[in-house]
Amino acid sequence: MRRVLIRDPIFIFCFVIVAGLLLMSFGNTVFRDGNVDQTLMLYSDEGRLIGIPPLEPSKYQWLGTDNAGYDLFQMLVEGFKWTVGICALVAFGRMVIGLLIGIPLAFRGARLNQFFKTLLDGFLILPISLIALMMLVGTLTFYDSTQVPPLWDRVKIELIVLVVLGLPAVTLYLITEIRQLLQQEFMIVAQTLGGSVWHRVRLHLFPHLVPTLVIVFMQQFVQTLMLLIHLSLFGIFFGGTVMLHEGIMPTVYEWSSMFGYYFRQFTAMTWMTNHLFLVPAMSLAALIFIFNLLTSRLERAFKLRRQEPVVTEASLAQSEAAAASLSNPFTLVDSTVSLRKEPDDIV
Amino acid sequence: MTYIARKSVHLIIAFFILIAISALPSLVVQTDFSLTNYWNGIQQQMDQLQKLEDITYYNITAQRYLPLLPALGPLVKESVIIFTTALAVSTSLGLMYAYFYYRSGRRVRTVLHQTSQTLEMVPDLFWLIFSQFLAITIHKSTGFDRIEVAGGFAEYIRFLPIVTLTLTTLFFFIKWLTIHIHEQEAIPYLELAQAKGIRPSGLFWKHLLPNIIYRFYLFFRSNIITILSTLLIVEYLFNVQGLFRFAVYNPQMEILLVILFVIYIPIFLFDLLIEWIIPNAWKGGI
Repeated sequence: MRRVLIRDPIFIFCFVIVAGLLLMSFGNTVFRDGNVDQTLMLYSDEGRLIGIPPLEPSKYQWLGTDNAGYDLFQMLVEGFKWTVGICALVAFGRMVIGLLIGIPLAFRGARLNQFFKTLLDGFLILPISLIALMMLVGTLTFYDSTQVPPLWDRVKIELIVLVVLGLPAVTLYLITEIRQLLQQEFMIVAQTLGGSVWHRVRLHLFPHLVPTLVIVFMQQFVQTLMLLIHLSLFGIFFGGTVMLHEGIMPTVYEWSSMFGYYFRQFTAMTWMTNHLFLVPAMSLAALIFIFNLLTSRLERAFKLRRQEPVVTEASLAQSEAAAASLSNPFTLVDSTVSLRKEPDDIV
Repeated sequence: MTYIARKSVHLIIAFFILIAISALPSLVVQTDFSLTNYWNGIQQQMDQLQKLEDITYYNITAQRYLPLLPALGPLVKESVIIFTTALAVSTSLGLMYAYFYYRSGRRVRTVLHQTSQTLEMVPDLFWLIFSQFLAITIHKSTGFDRIEVAGGFAEYIRFLPIVTLTLTTLFFFIKWLTIHIHEQEAIPYLELAQAKGIRPSGLFWKHLLPNIIYRFYLFFRSNIITILSTLLIVEYLFNVQGLFRFAVYNPQMEILLVILFVIYIPIFLFDLLIEWIIPNAWKGGI
């Protein structure tokens, strides 16, 4: 599979973009203490004032600046690691907990699983962003900027809510996948030969589950990002929202919060042509597109891996063929262990 | 009889689960989780269920609390119109695409497959921005102002929300249909039907489609949350006077309870209807 991915230019292109942005983001934190350049007034070479924030995109500020004069490109770079980190953490959390619940349940009878499915059915009809909004609106909205709880407390509660709300769908999906694998011949054979549940999970189930888990991780990553975008549009930014006299503002500058923050500064007719709205919106759309593309390339690579012919050594193949042959089933075909030379009638 | 009993139990369990979901906001107290508070929340929701007509919401225009249930009717109607129209259009277009794809040659198929796959990856947010941008550009360049880009108080906006929801759902459907057409083509029954002289259109509409329609419904049913999420954001950003936008502006537990029931019960009934209408043979039975 690795070979397929290395030779896939689309996968490499998307991977380089994501890895490059991540490196730049960490680099900005390590080498520049996470600082973002601020331009309060723009002067020409002759010392004439030629612009005040928000500045349009130019060769000095590639993506322009916001109302406070902060460089949008640098803000995007700085916030990238937060956005990717949050989504990866939530996706990983959902997957791990989903597996911990799903594996023991999948090994139980069909009736219990049907009951579990009925139990979680209600979770599969209401948009997660709506429940998340109702759960977090009281906790993450602050009317006094001096009484904001520590960042870790706010982040912890939000991460737990985001993980738990997505858990029913992931668990149900994983149970279905595992139960399908359990019906495969190799799993039935492993059970018949007396393999314990742990042995079967570790040696037989898990290697076959890895492709599914990779795809589920990528899908959950995108779903979490969409959830963060929805919440930020509703005014709940990641890490909390501070209500100020002039409006609301986020406490952590990650991409979805930036989008929601700038979006709320415009009316329907003005945001279309304003870079303050378009830059985060297009960046988020591109990020989702890139991750969807990565998922699709991974799916393709897994599919191709399944289609790859199994390469076995000639002697082994001959041994298997001989074992299956009815003409002379007890003849040893491996020359190294044969007692006397016999004509090879296998191939 | 067993079927009715099973479905009744299903409904009763679902009712309790919906109550438990609607009480979830009470689980979070400041920056901690409180199970005691959650239990109280569940009890409060149970009590509320017995006096639904007492639930009120704050009406900003009237500047006072008004009964929820009479106000919910027009909101539900608006959401249902957008949801069902988008669903009907995307299903019809999806099936037409599927037929065209089935009849196409290898080269056309590759182009269609790659195009639809790429478009499917585009997030709903982009379609939303793009459709509004397009409407504004058309208005600026031609003066055509019949396309509303955002609704207002007592103003209905339907065209763009339906278009956006249709596009998102359509690409979602197309991906599934394409995969399952490939899957069905590998099964020999189509070859047999072809050998008996059935025309390609007959093969698709009479043999292939009935075999996938029930699974298509199951796919739609298990992914309805994605479509409703898009509807939520469409309603919010286009200012549609619908159910989900109302829920965002009134984040109260009692209102969430009512909304959950309003969404779940029709879906449950629709499930029963589909189970009843679709013949056993289409579900893979004999």
